[in-house]
Amino acid sequence: MWSDLTNLLYQAYEQYSFLPLFIEIALFFIFIAIFATIFAYGVILFRRWKGYVHDKRMKFIRPKVEEMITEQVLINENLEQIPVEEIEFDQAAINDKIFKKPWVRQVVIDILIQYRKNFRGEVGELLRKLYIDMNLTKDSFEKMKSLKWERKIKAVVELTQMDVQISDVTILPLTNSTNPSLRAAARNAYIQLSKNEPFKFFDVATEPILPWDQLELFRIITTTKDIAIPNFSRWVSYSTNKSVVSFCLKLIAHYDQQTAIPAVMDLLNNKDHYFRANAINCLGKLGAEAAEDRLTKIYATQPIHCQLEILKALGRIASGNNLEFLKNEFLFSSNFDVRMAAARSIIKHNTPASRAMVEDLRATTYEENKLIISHCLNPLIKH
Amino acid sequence: MMDSIFVEYLSRFFEYTVFVYGTTLLVFYALLAILSFLNIRLFLKKESYTDYSVIVASPLAPGISVIAPAFNESITIVQNVRSLLTLDYPNYEIIIINDGSTDDTLEKLVNEFNLVKVDYAYDVKIKSKPVRGVYKSLNDAYTKLVVVDKENGKSKADASNAGINVCSKPYFVCTDVDCILHEHTLQKLIKPVMEEDEFRVIAVGATLRLSNSCEFDQGVITKIRAPRPLLARFQEMEYIRAFVLGKMGWSYINAVPNVSGGLGLFDKDVAIRAGGYDPASFGEDMELMLRMNRYTAENKIKSAVKYIPLTLCWTEGPSTLKIFMRQRTRWGRGLIQLMVTHRKLFFNSTYGRVGMLTYPYNFFFELLAPVIEFIGIIYYIIIAYLDQVNWPYAIILLVFVYTYSVMISTLAVLWDQLTFQYYKSWGDVIRICAMVFVEMLLYHPLIVIFALRGYYFYLTNRKHSWGNMQRQGFKKAEGSDNKPATAS
Repeated sequence: MWSDLTNLLYQAYEQYSFLPLFIEIALFFIFIAIFATIFAYGVILFRRWKGYVHDKRMKFIRPKVEEMITEQVLINENLEQIPVEEIEFDQAAINDKIFKKPWVRQVVIDILIQYRKNFRGEVGELLRKLYIDMNLTKDSFEKMKSLKWERKIKAVVELTQMDVQISDVTILPLTNSTNPSLRAAARNAYIQLSKNEPFKFFDVATEPILPWDQLELFRIITTTKDIAIPNFSRWVSYSTNKSVVSFCLKLIAHYDQQTAIPAVMDLLNNKDHYFRANAINCLGKLGAEAAEDRLTKIYATQPIHCQLEILKALGRIASGNNLEFLKNEFLFSSNFDVRMAAARSIIKHNTPASRAMVEDLRATTYEENKLIISHCLNPLIKH
Repeated sequence: MMDSIFVEYLSRFFEYTVFVYGTTLLVFYALLAILSFLNIRLFLKKESYTDYSVIVASPLAPGISVIAPAFNESITIVQNVRSLLTLDYPNYEIIIINDGSTDDTLEKLVNEFNLVKVDYAYDVKIKSKPVRGVYKSLNDAYTKLVVVDKENGKSKADASNAGINVCSKPYFVCTDVDCILHEHTLQKLIKPVMEEDEFRVIAVGATLRLSNSCEFDQGVITKIRAPRPLLARFQEMEYIRAFVLGKMGWSYINAVPNVSGGLGLFDKDVAIRAGGYDPASFGEDMELMLRMNRYTAENKIKSAVKYIPLTLCWTEGPSTLKIFMRQRTRWGRGLIQLMVTHRKLFFNSTYGRVGMLTYPYNFFFELLAPVIEFIGIIYYIIIAYLDQVNWPYAIILLVFVYTYSVMISTLAVLWDQLTFQYYKSWGDVIRICAMVFVEMLLYHPLIVIFALRGYYFYLTNRKHSWGNMQRQGFKKAEGSDNKPATAS
């Protein structure tokens, strides 16, 4: 039978080599297409089957893991009786052979992380102790050694969530990784885990902090307990990394760091107009009255989005010193957005003088400007 | 004698040209399949540890305006707006544009959402038909909602332009009011913008699917199913291939040709500077994309258009052949119109990848493909009539094209399954897979004919009527209380 098949294939090959080139190509592609199609269907079947098995396994193991965590942690009778460090777990329960399988250990880690997000205080600490006592740290550190960046990220996230120290030597280089995802995870971890200098990576950051990463960093910085908030003007003045400076401007505004005003004002000389716009925005949020003169002086030379930020800032500062400036912009600017921003800022002052000015403008200006004032005064319209 | 030699050379030339053309196209498809696979794999890796809840609670989330034009959508408008109000994002507004509806679309909105006309300072940044009024709600629960009432502009583009003029956020999402968006749509669409450092991301798209057989409750999708009607199921298959395999592949090399009109996030500043949507265009979504790309290239802005492989939008596909024909004819007409209008881009290196790759690809393999196919069929018939067909070779070539197209579509289904197993039942997967085998025989000829019809209409300058698609409404989920919406 084998010889018949070999003969057949040999004959087919002999005939194939006598065919025109385009038919040879077509036959070659037919073979590839049929093979790839069958393979693709095989993968679809396999993936769905794998998904089914995974769901089934999870249905089986999840209640067991949750039961173990509930018994060992959530309803542990020693909780709040003795210090967490002295609480001993039932060794037989946590060393059950089922928890030796790598995939089950991963499920345990995932559920512990999920629980720790919901429980703080002693329960949170006991969850951490369980993670350490089950030697799950070893699993996480093993992942850190992986060459795959996504496994490294998983490890960093697990250790951070469980508040397990990662040495500076290991984590600091990762904060400048060329892989943006790994870099972000490492920075988040560093801020949360570094007890002495959580913002040290700002000094050494050569890679940008992307706006998406800023979301998480901002959340961590503003919600982590016992984190020493530094004066962010330090990086505004000295950092050469633009993203660090722009992120620090947001933090300065959030923490209302009035002492940072001079450093932020220095940025008004920066050549990058997006940067200047960020600085003006920050000054407005700080209510920096000291910056008003400077802002009105540079106004005429700025691009439109910086001008709009200046008008907005004057409204936020609302000292009343620049009402006439705002009025002039409202009356004489040919740009619709400028007039709108100026009107908003006048209204935002909400002082007797500003209210009188609004009434006066309403009575004397032309129709479109009247509409702008009505628009800005309407509480139903937010923008 | 000379004549027959000439004819033979001509036919030989034609055969080889078509073969080279076809093979090049298939090689392109294979490359796209590989690129989309790489892109999807990268996306899934990132997605596995991305925590979207961070943006939902963040004061740093960029603002997004959702623009949804509506024309005579009285039957479903309330449900559609309620669906948009369920979007989970901290900083967004919804702008519904009543494009001069002749039914009671506006009245329904006013009554349902307690709207009042406000003194709104409307600035015409992009031209559109006059705006008659802007409405806001007195109810605090609907502060996100803005309704713009304007004169009918006879195109979605005109209505969208009015929406862009009103929007107050730096980004806008353009959709159709009858589209059902996933509640996490805005979080998912803004992420590619926020994680890009080198390029300015001017647009982001995501996969669309057909809602024809899905179940909904209060405007929220509760059960995803492959469409039961054959025509809709063919379209679903086509969408999967176009979005998951095609656009994800193009996205990997930053050469996305267009972001669908059904769902796309755009950089407002660039869209306005590029002139907004062109109301005269029959393919306004692709036209805008091309113009935005032109604008950034001419102004030396390093820009990118991104795609994500997640299905975030469900839209009702044409359910009758007549409506389907009208839609595809318009698409065909839009394509040729676009190619003519932007011919300057053709192999023009000033426009980077758009000029050197995207435009030429669309010209050769999107615009010319139906023409070449049609000529090929005519040629086949003639030589068959003259008894000059080498049937064994002809059959081999047909099998070649057939098996290859089956392979590409199967890979698209596979990539889709790798991304997210939207179909929970085996039956749905089998239904879609079955389409792969008959699509080329039943559906593809229709696409070719309707595209040619569009070209013909363009060349003969035939007046186009937009027509209004009869909505079937959404199938309600069992046990839900909301009334099923059915077209009158």
